[in-house]
Amino acid sequence: MDTSQYLNVFMDECQEHLQILNQSLLDLEKDPENIDILHAIFRSAHTLKGASATMGFNKMANVTHAMEDVLGLLRKQELQIDPEIINLLFDALDLLEALAKGITEGREEDIEVAGILQRLKKYSQQSEEEVTPADSNDRRKKLQLRYTTEEKENIFKLLESGSFLYHLDIQLKKDCLLKGARAFMILRELESVGTIIRTIPTAKELEDEQFDLEFIIGLCSKEPIEKIVKLVKRVTDVQEVKSESVKAEEILIERRESKPQYVETAAAKIETPDSAEQKKDEPAKKSSSPVHTGPNIYPTVRVDIRKLDTLMNLIAELVINRSQIEQLSSEIRDQRLEETVEHLNRLTIDLRDQVLKTRMVSIDQVFSRFPRLIRDLAKGTQKEVELRLSGVDTELDRTVIDEIGDPLVHIIRNCVDHGIEKPEEREAAGKPRTGVVALDAYQTGNSVIITVADDGKGMDPEKIGASAVEKGFITKDALNDLSDQEKINLIFLPGFSTAKEVSDVSGRGVGMDAVKNKISALGGVVSISSVPGEGTKFTIQLPLTLAIIQTLMIQLGEEVYAIPTSFVDQTISVSRKDIKILRHQEVTLLRGEVIPLLRLQDYLGIQGAKNSDLDELDVVVFKSGEKRVGCVVDSLLRQQDVVIKSLGGFLGDIPGIAGATILGDGRVALILDLRDVA
Amino acid sequence: MKKEEVREETTQLVVFKLGEEEFGVNILQVREIEKLDQGLTRVPKAPHFVEGVINLRGEIIPIVDLRKRFGLTLPPLGLDSRVIIVEVGEEAVGMLVDAVVEVLRVPVSAIESAPSITKGVNSYYLAGVAKIEERLIVLLNLERALSPEEAEELSKAELG
Repeated sequence: MDTSQYLNVFMDECQEHLQILNQSLLDLEKDPENIDILHAIFRSAHTLKGASATMGFNKMANVTHAMEDVLGLLRKQELQIDPEIINLLFDALDLLEALAKGITEGREEDIEVAGILQRLKKYSQQSEEEVTPADSNDRRKKLQLRYTTEEKENIFKLLESGSFLYHLDIQLKKDCLLKGARAFMILRELESVGTIIRTIPTAKELEDEQFDLEFIIGLCSKEPIEKIVKLVKRVTDVQEVKSESVKAEEILIERRESKPQYVETAAAKIETPDSAEQKKDEPAKKSSSPVHTGPNIYPTVRVDIRKLDTLMNLIAELVINRSQIEQLSSEIRDQRLEETVEHLNRLTIDLRDQVLKTRMVSIDQVFSRFPRLIRDLAKGTQKEVELRLSGVDTELDRTVIDEIGDPLVHIIRNCVDHGIEKPEEREAAGKPRTGVVALDAYQTGNSVIITVADDGKGMDPEKIGASAVEKGFITKDALNDLSDQEKINLIFLPGFSTAKEVSDVSGRGVGMDAVKNKISALGGVVSISSVPGEGTKFTIQLPLTLAIIQTLMIQLGEEVYAIPTSFVDQTISVSRKDIKILRHQEVTLLRGEVIPLLRLQDYLGIQGAKNSDLDELDVVVFKSGEKRVGCVVDSLLRQQDVVIKSLGGFLGDIPGIAGATILGDGRVALILDLRDVA
Repeated sequence: MKKEEVREETTQLVVFKLGEEEFGVNILQVREIEKLDQGLTRVPKAPHFVEGVINLRGEIIPIVDLRKRFGLTLPPLGLDSRVIIVEVGEEAVGMLVDAVVEVLRVPVSAIESAPSITKGVNSYYLAGVAKIEERLIVLLNLERALSPEEAEELSKAELG
């Protein structure tokens, strides 16, 4: 079967489930008694198994299958959750992620899975050996069913009306082909004679064949047990039925003896609206992440991102055409035409905003990876670290979301590795043992700000400076001229790393320069502020979307250029007499601050600029960190939203040029990226 | 006999002029031919043979002056000059030429490999020469002629 066309769908689904697995495992580690989380994990593993097997990715199918076996045992409480198992499951998850990556890169074959399979199988086989003999001695252990408070109330009501409570353990034949259908038939038979209180696994899972061969049913019925067993055995493919009649008191007593925690959980459950009963009827997909589902779930459509890209391009064309019509209309000066154009204007803006919105994804998609990352980093470095997330609902363009993960991972690694101190050091410094890494995201105007802050030891400008001199990035003299902030910024130099030893965690071949480059490529800026002893804060500013940006249009010589306003600090007008020469550099005073002036034509290397003859100069001021630089242009024209177009692969990356856009008159204007001048 | 001649494998060339010399590109690589009657936007810091970019129905196309590209010293472009939009790989590039002459069907057998330097152009950029009666049409290897990386490396090599 040619499955290539389904690969995208599969990968999407795969990522979704890997994320659920990740989050659920973290939750399970914190709350090992919560059976709902275990169900969620089981379901995701199961779905992955099915999907990967269908696609022919056998390695992934094998791993998920082995995981499922272990999870199944955990779910039946034949295996107890302990840190070792959690770690094993995390390792298996890592492997799945590696496999998913391998599949997209076409090198799935190279990934070794035997180790994990063996470890997983050791668990599932071991417990089989342990449990099976014990099981024959003590059947109740296996027939034990947990009931919620509502279920218990229901049971008591039924018992009062003359029913009995039975626990049935039904085993299907090994060669049974239609497990789901058989289970369904059994349930239907039983429903005809009584009330099914609970099944393990749930009825939905039984129907979906998400079980091995065995399932347990709690049934209230007025019929004698023999009749019920006979009824079940009449269904084809039933291998064995173990049955037991349970007394009302037993449900309670049993519970208190073996699992006292459960009573609490059950009691707590009443307050949450999603009781187990409801969940059973929900489709598996929706309930697959019980930890995260909000109160409002609307139906959604999965769309190929390329379709949205095409749509965005069409809108871009429309925006350009609109400005052309606008220009014509201003020439023709017909009132009716102007009104229509105005209306068209509004519609275009609305349409554009809506399309932009459809491309927006909440940053939670990225942030949700980090609890796991922090956990692993903390374990790896023997530090105690708490992750605080806020602003997870902040939305960003899908393209940005896809790209921002790696830089953030690197910054977080840096925080834990170099920022947060060991617990003892922290205590000695009078800080709480547990360090905090706080991630925040929020929107301001057309940008989204993401901050990563730690409360560690901060960066030492002198140490960074010394290291930069040692590595030959900068001379000692040049270093003396730098402010503390500029010294800290040295870490963005290619090849710079302050780690004394290359640890396993950070320094995996990418430096902070890669972080800076990635963020620049996204049209963003990154800055650091650090207070020794108190911590370090990385601030990343990103454009909301990559497709349409607000720009300042300027004239220089014959050409019109667009400068993204997000990079512009301010625009000022400077008289020729206010320009001084300082060390062969034109400078001017801006509210008491000396700022260097740069003639844009010199920076770009173009002829024909007129600003050298002007008395009043229009200056665009850029800011990087604390440093400001003014760019002298011929004149400022207007602010305008423009659609970014690539210059194409032929011209490739030209420094200082971010792309091009088409103006209302059909001419091309280049979009300047002048962040590097400051 | 005549039938066999018709069956002979042929290829179609767009023939154009740089100065007085005739060059050709395979028609399959040519998207369209335009007059350069609209504004050209210059691109600072681009390779010297890139004249600028134009807007071709919403697509931004870089324009290469082939004469500069091959280092030919020729009089300025006249009224007959045209832009041949060609497709190289995934990219569309406009080639500025002095004039477009015709579309010509030539037998493949008439195409020979190019001598090391033909009409002042390094044979590295050429796919061959077509000899048709008295005419000598130089065929371009567009992948090489329009690759900025190649140009950079070559100029470096020439300097070094």
